[in-house]
Amino acid sequence: MSAARRLSLIRLALTLAFGAFAIWLPFRLDAGDRSLYTLMGLYAIVAVGLSLLMGFAGQISLGQGAFFALGAYTTGILIVGLDPDERLIDPGAGISPLLAVVLAPFFTAGVAAVIGVPLLRLRGHYLAFASLALHLILLAVLFAEDRFTGGQDPGLLVIERLEVFGRTVTGATLTAVVWGVLLVTLLLALNLVGSRAGRALRAIATSERTAAAAGVNVATYKLRLFVLAAGLAGLSGAFYVFLLQFLSPDAFPLFLSIQFVVMVAVGGLGSIYGAVLGAVAITWLENRLRDLGAQPELLGFELPDQAPQVFSIGVFAVILIVVILFFPRGLLPGIGELWRRVQARRPGSASVGSDPGRGLTP
Amino acid sequence: MTALLEVEALTVRYGGGVAVDGVTLRVDEGERVALIGPNGAGKSSIINAVCGLVKPAGGRIRIRGEDVTRARPGEIVRRGVTQVPEGRQVFPTLTVEANLLLGAYGRDFRNELVSATIRYLGRKAEIAERLERTYELMPKLRELQTRPAGQTSGGEQQMVAIGRALMAEPRLLAVDELSLGLAPLIVQGLTAFLRRLNEEEGVALLLVEQNAHLAFDLCSRAYVIEAGRLLLTGSSDELQANESVRAAYLGSGLEVA
Amino acid sequence: MTKFIQLVVVGVSIGSAFGLVGIGMVLIFRTTSIVNFAQGAFAVLGGLFMVSLVDDVHGLVAGTVAVILTALIGGVMGMVAVGFRNRTTALASLIITLGLALLVSSLNLLAFGDRPHTYPTIFERAWNIGGVFVQPQYAILVGVTLVAAFGLTVGLQRTIAGQALVACADSRRAAELVGINVRAVAVIAFAVSAGLSALGWVLLTPVDPVNYDSDVRIAVNGFAAAAFGGLVSIRLALVGGLALGILQQLVVGYAPGQARQYELAAALVVLLVLIGYRSRHEAHE
Repeated sequence: MSAARRLSLIRLALTLAFGAFAIWLPFRLDAGDRSLYTLMGLYAIVAVGLSLLMGFAGQISLGQGAFFALGAYTTGILIVGLDPDERLIDPGAGISPLLAVVLAPFFTAGVAAVIGVPLLRLRGHYLAFASLALHLILLAVLFAEDRFTGGQDPGLLVIERLEVFGRTVTGATLTAVVWGVLLVTLLLALNLVGSRAGRALRAIATSERTAAAAGVNVATYKLRLFVLAAGLAGLSGAFYVFLLQFLSPDAFPLFLSIQFVVMVAVGGLGSIYGAVLGAVAITWLENRLRDLGAQPELLGFELPDQAPQVFSIGVFAVILIVVILFFPRGLLPGIGELWRRVQARRPGSASVGSDPGRGLTP
Repeated sequence: MTALLEVEALTVRYGGGVAVDGVTLRVDEGERVALIGPNGAGKSSIINAVCGLVKPAGGRIRIRGEDVTRARPGEIVRRGVTQVPEGRQVFPTLTVEANLLLGAYGRDFRNELVSATIRYLGRKAEIAERLERTYELMPKLRELQTRPAGQTSGGEQQMVAIGRALMAEPRLLAVDELSLGLAPLIVQGLTAFLRRLNEEEGVALLLVEQNAHLAFDLCSRAYVIEAGRLLLTGSSDELQANESVRAAYLGSGLEVA
Repeated sequence: MTKFIQLVVVGVSIGSAFGLVGIGMVLIFRTTSIVNFAQGAFAVLGGLFMVSLVDDVHGLVAGTVAVILTALIGGVMGMVAVGFRNRTTALASLIITLGLALLVSSLNLLAFGDRPHTYPTIFERAWNIGGVFVQPQYAILVGVTLVAAFGLTVGLQRTIAGQALVACADSRRAAELVGINVRAVAVIAFAVSAGLSALGWVLLTPVDPVNYDSDVRIAVNGFAAAAFGGLVSIRLALVGGLALGILQQLVVGYAPGQARQYELAAALVVLLVLIGYRSRHEAHE
C-alpha cells in the first residue's frame, strides 16, 4: 500500500471516528450547550461549502447567509403552506417537513446557478459585492413581502417537527442528525478533493491560466462550486428551521454572511477540516463575546447597551484582519506552512522557487 | 579595486524551500556578465535580491563597497543599479514617454509622494535632457512617444523597459531574460544595442539568460547557476570550451528559446 | 411634472454623493488594484464627524475638519489594506478592507449609538426655482463632485504624480523596481479617496441620515456606480452614481406603497444586470 493511500485511509478513519464522537456527544450535553453545539454543526456545513469556493475558485461569497436564509424560509413556507390564490397561510397546503428539507437545497442551488452564470466569469470583487447585494435584496424581500414570509412581525412560526421514518427528530436527535449530515458532507467533500475533479480544482487554484490551457473548463468548475456552496447553505438553513422554530429576517442579518467568511478565513481556505474548526471556534467565540458584552460592567468600565454587538463585530473584524495579513491561507494551512519552513532550515535543501499559489490541504 | 556589485554567500528562501543557496559573484565597472542556467534555477531571485525586491535570508550585497543587503528598491536605484524585469513589465495604460519619465521619477521617491514630486519638478531640466539622450539612443521610442505602452509590440516594449531603466542613469543594468518571447531578429538588435550602450556609455551589464548562446555572445564572463547554487564560473571562452556546459546549454548549436 | 423634476433634483444630489463614493473606489482600484469594501465607512465617518462638530463650530469649519479627519483615517487603513508585498493578494486586501469596515462600524456603534444621526442644513432656506426646491447645500455637493471628477481624471492622466499612482496598479513590481514606494502611494490614494467620500456625506446627511451600519448600503451603491465604469473610469463612475440616485428617487416617488422599500433593491438589480452585461465583455483573469 503506498504512503499516499495509507495516509488517506488514516484520514478517513479519523474522520469517521471524530464523526461518531460528534454524533454521540449531543446526548450527553444539557439543552443550553446543545443548542450552541447544533448551531456549530449547522454553520460548519455552510463553512465547508464556502471554504471550497474560496479555496479552489478564489471567489468570495458574501451571500452565504442569504442562501442559508433562503433555505430556511423555503422550508418554513413549504411546511406551513401557502394558498397560491389567496397568498395567505393555508396549513392544508403545507407539505411534509422531510420533503421540504429535501427540496430547499435544490431551490437554493437553482437560484445560485442563475446568478452565478454571469458573475463567476468576472473577477472576485464582482461576486463579493453582488452576493452582498443578494443578501440585502433578500432581506428587503423578506421584510416587504410579509404576507408570504410573516416579515418581522409576526414572523413565521413553524411548529411542525421533522419526521423521519415515523420518528420525530427533535432535541438531541436533531443535533445528532445535523452532525451526521455534516459528516456526510465532509466525506463527500473529501471524495471530491481526491477525485479527478479534485485534481482539476487544485489546478485551477494554483493557476487558472495554466489550468485553462490544459483544457480544464474553469468557468464551469467555479460555477459548480458556487452552486454547491449555495446548496449546502440551503440545506443547513432547512435544518435551522427546526432548531429555531420561528423565522424572522432579524435571524439572518448581513453580519451572518460576514461571519461565514471569517470562519473560512480563520479555518483555512480550501481546507475542509479547517472550515469545521473555524465554524466551531467562531461560533463559540461569538457566543462568549455576546455574553461578555451583556454583563453590566467589565474591568470596572460600565458597558453601554450595544456592547454585545460592538464586542462581537469589533473583535471579529480584528481577527479577520490579523489572520488574513499574517496567515493569508487561513490558520490551519498557515501553521502547516510555518512547520514546513522550520523543517526547511537545513543547509543544502534546494528547491524550485515557484509561487506557492493557492495550494490546499483537505 | 572595489567592485561595482559584490554578492557574497547570498541565500534567498521562498515558501518552504531555498531559491538561492550561498551564491557569490561580482561585477566590475563597465563589465558584461551573464548568469546562465535552467528555468527556475534561482537566477531571477538573485537579481531580485540585488534590486531590493526580495529580502535575503543570508549573505551580503554590496554596491561600490556599500552594504545594501536590506535596502529598499528605491535605495538601490539611487546607488546606480536598475533592472529591466522579466516580461518587460511596462506600465500598459501610460504612454511610452510617461513610462520613461517614471524611470527618473522613481529615483527621487523616498518615503512619500508629495516630496518626490517636488524633487522631480526641481530636476525638470536635467530630466528633459536625459529624456532627449534616451531618445537619441533609441530613436524608435521617440516615434512611439504618445502611444500607450500596452499597445506596442514585444520588442518595442523591451526597448521601453530598457529606456525606463536607463532614465535613472544607472552604472549597472540588470536584465532579466531579455530574449523571452521575442523574435531572434529583434533579440539581435537589442543585443547589439546593449553592447553599444556598454562600450560607449560604460554601463555595466548583468544579464540573466536562459539562452546561453546569447549570453556568451554578449558577455565576457558568466556564472552558471543550477538549483540555487553556483556551479561554475569563468570567461565566456573558458565556459564555451567546457564539455558539460556545452552538453547542457549549447546543445547542437540550435537556439533554444 | 414638477414632482418629476423635484425627484430628479433630489436624485442628482444623492447621486453625486454616490458618485463621490464610486470615484473613491475607482481611485483606489486604479492605483492599488484593491476593491475597497470600506468605502462606505468613509462616507459614514464624514457624516458622523460632521454631525458631532456642526453644533459647535461654523458649518464650513466642521465640514473641513470632518473631511481631513476621515482622510487621515483612510490613509492608515490604506497602509493596513496593502498588506505585505509578496504575501497579500488583491482578494486578501478586499477581505482586509471588509474587516476594516466592520471595525469602523463597531467603533461608530460604540461612539454614536444605534440610531440615525443628522443635522439641519447649513443654509436655512432652499431656492425655489419655478416650483422646484433646490437646497444650496446640495447644489454645492453637485458642484464639488463635478470639480473632483474632472480634477482627478486630469490629474491621473496628465501629472507625473498621477501617473505614478496609476503605475502602481499597472505593474506593482515594475513600480517598485523604479523606486516608487507602493505602500506610500496606497496611503495617499486611500486618504484622498476617503476625503472625497466623506465630503459626500458631510453635505448629504440632512437628506440621508447616517447610522453605524449605513456603510454597507453606501458601499454597495458606490460599487454599483464604480462598476458602471468597469472600476476604472472616473467619469462613468460619476454617471453611474447619478443614474442610481435618480433611479432610487423615482422608485420612492412613483412606486406603490409597499414597493417603496425596494429602492435599494432597484439599485441592486441594476447592479446585477450591469455585472451580467459586463461579464460578456470583460476578459476573465
